[in-house]
Amino acid sequence: MAISSFGSLLATVVVVGVVALIAIVVLFKAMWRVAEPNEALIISGFRTRRASDAIGESMGFKMVTGHGTFVIPGIQVVRKLSLDLNEAELVVDCVTQQGIPVHLKAVVIYKVGDDFASIANAARRFLDQQDKMNTRIQNVFAGHLRAICGSLTVEELIRERDKLTEATRAAAGTEMEKLGLVIDSLQIQEIEDPTGYIQNLAKPHAVAVLKDARVAQAHADREATETEQLSAALKAEAVRDSSIKQATYQADVDRAAAQAKLAGPLAEATARQQVVVEETKVAQLEAERREQELQVSVRKPADAAAYEKRTVAAGQRDADIAAAEARARQVELQAAADAKRTELNATAQATATRQIGEAEAAATQAKGIAEGNAISARLTAEANAIRARAEALASNQDAVIGQQLAEKWPQIVEAAAKAFNNIDQMIVLNGADGVSEIVGKVMAQGAAGLGLARTLLSKASRREDEVTAPGSNGTAVVTRIDPGSKEKS
Amino acid sequence: MNFDHEVVGKIGRVTGTIAPKKVGEVMLSIRGGSEAFHAYAGAKDETIERGERVVVVEYHPPRTVVVSQA
Repeated sequence: MAISSFGSLLATVVVVGVVALIAIVVLFKAMWRVAEPNEALIISGFRTRRASDAIGESMGFKMVTGHGTFVIPGIQVVRKLSLDLNEAELVVDCVTQQGIPVHLKAVVIYKVGDDFASIANAARRFLDQQDKMNTRIQNVFAGHLRAICGSLTVEELIRERDKLTEATRAAAGTEMEKLGLVIDSLQIQEIEDPTGYIQNLAKPHAVAVLKDARVAQAHADREATETEQLSAALKAEAVRDSSIKQATYQADVDRAAAQAKLAGPLAEATARQQVVVEETKVAQLEAERREQELQVSVRKPADAAAYEKRTVAAGQRDADIAAAEARARQVELQAAADAKRTELNATAQATATRQIGEAEAAATQAKGIAEGNAISARLTAEANAIRARAEALASNQDAVIGQQLAEKWPQIVEAAAKAFNNIDQMIVLNGADGVSEIVGKVMAQGAAGLGLARTLLSKASRREDEVTAPGSNGTAVVTRIDPGSKEKS
Repeated sequence: MNFDHEVVGKIGRVTGTIAPKKVGEVMLSIRGGSEAFHAYAGAKDETIERGERVVVVEYHPPRTVVVSQA
């Protein structure tokens, strides 16, 4: 019994303990609040006026971040403020610094600042209207965006992020601080420009790129075409070469085929040719045989007859020739004999005549020489006499006159000779002296008859005789000597 | 509990050029993370380029600091 009462007591205690534990847990759960990393607890009410964790002075509410805290239900109120990132979309028509209207679509990303000042600012403004925060921010930020847009050019809007963030900070930073918000980022998502400014901005580059592209395209096209044409040409060349080769081979094949085809007829022709050759030989032999026969039957007799005739004729001819030659020889010998005889006769006669002539000439010459010597001797004597006389006269003027006369002597003699011209024949009896005498007389008759002249004359005649004896003696001398000289010549 | 809420004296990095008549930006390590603050130069007419290290000399809650080149 005691054991059972102890047991029931234990059970009761256990039950009560369990209930109490449950109650404690439930109570604890109800009073213990934990701030998660992305939120702040704003506690107001009992005992919240004392200094907060971080900020010396409080606005009468307590802010808790990152840890748990007891909240006494009923006398304390706890609210949560989200520290999450918020995103507000903005669509704004604005005008840039250059006055160009643009239609901007942007996103601003913001959050409640992590410091207690920001949390406090935000809590006082948005705690009950956290769902309306985006609308508020959109409205506030639209104005800021217009301001930002107005401080930038289109190019800067497009390209220069730094300037955009800078402008965002400058325009909206302070304003957002008032709201306890921090702008993490401002992103412009779209820029529409009705005036086509951006397109025009892009045009030069686009056109340049297009130009480059077209140039490249053209280059590539040209190169491709060149290569194509080259390859086509090569292809054609290859085709040509191949065709040529094919044709060559085909020709070979055709030739071979033709040869093969002609082999039969050729062999036949060859055989026939041999047959013909043999036949020809037979025909030749036959012809030869016939020729032989003819030789025997016709030619040989004819030859014999001809030979006979020829021999007879030749004999006759030889005989005739021999006879003629004999006659000719006879005549020739006769003529030679006659000629010889005549020649001998003539020679004998000539010799006789010459000898006679020579004998006469010798006689005449001897006579002439003898006469000459006689004259010479006489004249020499006369000359000596005249010289003696001349020497005797040498001392007077007459010698000069004589000299002059002597120089004129040929004319004088000529004149004297004229006296004889009419005389056909004159017979001189006493030779050269006679002549001198006659001349002297004539001169004496015709001229002054100077003794001096005579002596001079004789002197000159002597001199003349020495030099030109025939001339001085004139016709007479010539006549006498004539026969001898004739014989000599 | 150690709350890393103190801003003054922190060394940060300029993420938006700090120049006269402009609002710059610095990134500071704070509260276990990093936050961006609006920044002005301590000396007038001073320009601090992006990427420079700066030290915070003043803090104007909630999000503004005055810095000078470190």
